[in-house]
Amino acid sequence: MSVVEFKNVSKHFDKLKVLDEVDLTIDRQEVVVLVGPSGSGKSTLLRCINGLEEITGGDLVVNGISVRGGHARLREIRQQAGMVFQQFNLFPQFTALENVAFGPRQVLGMNRRDSEARAMELLEKVGLSDKAHNAPSALSGGQQQRVAIARALAIRPKVMLFDEPTSALDPELKQEVLNVMRQLAEEGMTMIVVTHEMNFARSVGTRLIFMEHGKIAVDGDPREVINNPPNDRMKDFLRHVQ
Amino acid sequence: MDVQWSIIIDFIPQLLAGAQVTLYITVVGLIGGIIVGTVAGLMRAYGGMILNGVAFAYIEVIRGTPIVVQVMFIYFALPVLADLRIPGMTAAVLAIVINAGAYIAEIVRGSVLSIGRGLTEAGLALGLPRWKVVTHIVGPLAFRRLIPPLGNQCIVSLKDTSLFIVIGVGELTRTGQEIMAANFRAVEIWTAVAILYLVMTGTLSLILRMIEKRMRIL
Ligand SMILES: Nc1ncnc2c1ncn2[C@@H]1O[C@H](COP(=O)(O)OP(=O)(O)O)[C@@H](O)[C@H]1O
Ligand SMILES: [Mg+2]
Repeated sequence: MSVVEFKNVSKHFDKLKVLDEVDLTIDRQEVVVLVGPSGSGKSTLLRCINGLEEITGGDLVVNGISVRGGHARLREIRQQAGMVFQQFNLFPQFTALENVAFGPRQVLGMNRRDSEARAMELLEKVGLSDKAHNAPSALSGGQQQRVAIARALAIRPKVMLFDEPTSALDPELKQEVLNVMRQLAEEGMTMIVVTHEMNFARSVGTRLIFMEHGKIAVDGDPREVINNPPNDRMKDFLRHVQ
Repeated sequence: MDVQWSIIIDFIPQLLAGAQVTLYITVVGLIGGIIVGTVAGLMRAYGGMILNGVAFAYIEVIRGTPIVVQVMFIYFALPVLADLRIPGMTAAVLAIVINAGAYIAEIVRGSVLSIGRGLTEAGLALGLPRWKVVTHIVGPLAFRRLIPPLGNQCIVSLKDTSLFIVIGVGELTRTGQEIMAANFRAVEIWTAVAILYLVMTGTLSLILRMIEKRMRIL
């Protein structure tokens, strides 16, 4: 069974058509890298998957559940689709550990001890167990983003959505986040990643999608389509990001 | 110049009684104002078109008119319109409730909206229901940001009660006015009145400082 299936999905903001009858099926363990010019609809596509944006046409099914099934079903989808934001969005009143434990506690209903044990495991996984009791403001951007990844993983998602996870980071901090993502991919996590990191796309991606005006313009093997871009706009785009 | 500070002593009980009335109007009025303001502020921040519009109209009407006019309206005009007599004390408390409520609504709305949409989305993306996002994430953060401007509004409302002299409620300023009318001791009486206000607002400021110190603003 596919993890994410777009069936003729459209998304309008008032009159503006941001997703234009998108068909897309993503299977288990795929690492889909989503690229395209600014405003082409990459974030919107990602945010429709977990219902942060409501689709206005077609249907979108995540792990067998339609995003159009109402609030309760949408919350189920959100538990199966972890999201990592460009701006980290860690809860500033909590420590790193509390940030990660929050989902298990409040969403999965685990008790305090179990949720914190789980959070500690995940912080270890992203290499931050020594920062467990630090406030987010006391962490570097790269560390904050790794905590954010741990927070998203804590609810045991089936698919991870990354919206430009390294775009807000200084160049020297990008790699530590990309390494965590690479490790996740190697463990078999299904991932959809909006990024301009072409090295990541080449070495970790199993599939590359180039978006343009709300449509999927190119969909293929990352190495092949990066080396031989099948259309001129993609060629232009690659020149700009590399 | 004939100034006799010692005469104040004779009027201390009377002035303290006035201060007590001032405090009573302020405290009861602000409790109501905080409730009204929170509801109206949340309507502004989260409400659909209708709720938002109702709250907006309320806030604009109150902020666009002087509190003296508001209390006169409650005390003199409402009885004519609705055929119900409102005692002076009730009118005074009500005036603080609706007046502070409007300003507090804007404070609540501002604090809620200052908590970026990103945190709400992060909460929702975890699968949290919206009300839990409000009670566990946005609420506690907004509350910290709300304390300083809310404290400021409390001090403003306390001083606003002096305007209720116009409807004859025996608060501190009115008490001072009455004593003065009998003995013409303007310097002594108004100095004493001012000091009593300062003691009340100063205490409030101090409490606020302590709360702010204990709660880091994030
Ligand atoms: N909440 C919104 N309201 C109105 N327009 C929006 C909103 N979000 C995005 N858009 C518009 O949709 C288009 C696609 O945006 P987005 O998906 O963020 O693109 P990308 O992530 O590829 O840069 C842009 O033109 C953007 O201005
Ligand atoms: Mg984007």
